[in-house]
Amino acid sequence: MRGPQDLGGLPAGPVDPAVHEHVPTHWEKRIDAMMMLLFDPKRRLARVDESRRMQEALGEDYHKYPYYERWLQAISWLMLEKGVFSQEELDEKQREVRARLEAERRGM
Amino acid sequence: MSDHHPDHMHATHTHDGKPIQNDDRPPIKAETLETAVRELLIEKGVISAEEIHRAIEMMDEKGTELGARIVARAWVDDDFKQRLLSEGDAAVREFGVDMRPTELCVIENTDDVHNMVVCTLCSCYPRAILGIPPAWYKRRDYRARAVREPRSILTEFGTSIPEDKQVRVHDSNADLRYLVLPQRPAGTEDWSEEQLAELVSRDSMIGVADIRGPGE
Repeated sequence: MRGPQDLGGLPAGPVDPAVHEHVPTHWEKRIDAMMMLLFDPKRRLARVDESRRMQEALGEDYHKYPYYERWLQAISWLMLEKGVFSQEELDEKQREVRARLEAERRGM
Repeated sequence: MSDHHPDHMHATHTHDGKPIQNDDRPPIKAETLETAVRELLIEKGVISAEEIHRAIEMMDEKGTELGARIVARAWVDDDFKQRLLSEGDAAVREFGVDMRPTELCVIENTDDVHNMVVCTLCSCYPRAILGIPPAWYKRRDYRARAVREPRSILTEFGTSIPEDKQVRVHDSNADLRYLVLPQRPAGTEDWSEEQLAELVSRDSMIGVADIRGPGE
């Protein structure tokens, strides 16, 4: 069975190298940095194939996610799977962060 | 696993191909998850805020010059070129590049063969040498079509390869990264290594472009 990531040979649209360049935003770089740090020899908390397994687990949603949000989801699931933090801790932290970000955005 | 339905299908990101402002903020749900994960990792002592900051700094500094210097060296030093083609990892270590845990395979363009690199399954790329891959490299369109109609893709990049020249497409994977060694353009015989490095573009090392020499 072809997984959502397995794109080789499928019909697709044109590539416009002038338009399809994109300098990563600072937020995207933070995700990139987290992934690289988790991969590095000091931590070895994740490997490329593990990250891919998590992204491919998105199924059809794989294509709806922007690239770095897929990475972010993979990091979060991997850390849960490895017991680095629990779902409860993540939920609690997200509630706290969300309130902070909403206040920050209102003040923008 | 928590629910993973994205609540944001609006145009902020690369997959719709629209350029965005570099300081654009992501949807709040995504920013919340990123901030929460990052803060938890810092609180647990897994990574530090300073390490993230330094990693981003390194990302910003790393362009494609390193790749260009490696290619230029291979053009002027045949021993190095042979090492690069036979054992890429060891050869680039001379430039301080550590490819681990992946391997590097360098493929040479010749008068008969043009090489092109893709990662159909995700976006594997020789990041240690070329930095973060361009957005088009990660897009569905490139990944899907590169292995079936590479010549059409090359045309979209303004690169035309003669019909009698073979086009070989190399599909990267989690453990193996490819770098194209482009052909040295004619008319550069007396150029220095530094001058040559200036000519080498990122796209030529991915294999979607050729390098034009002076007056071409």
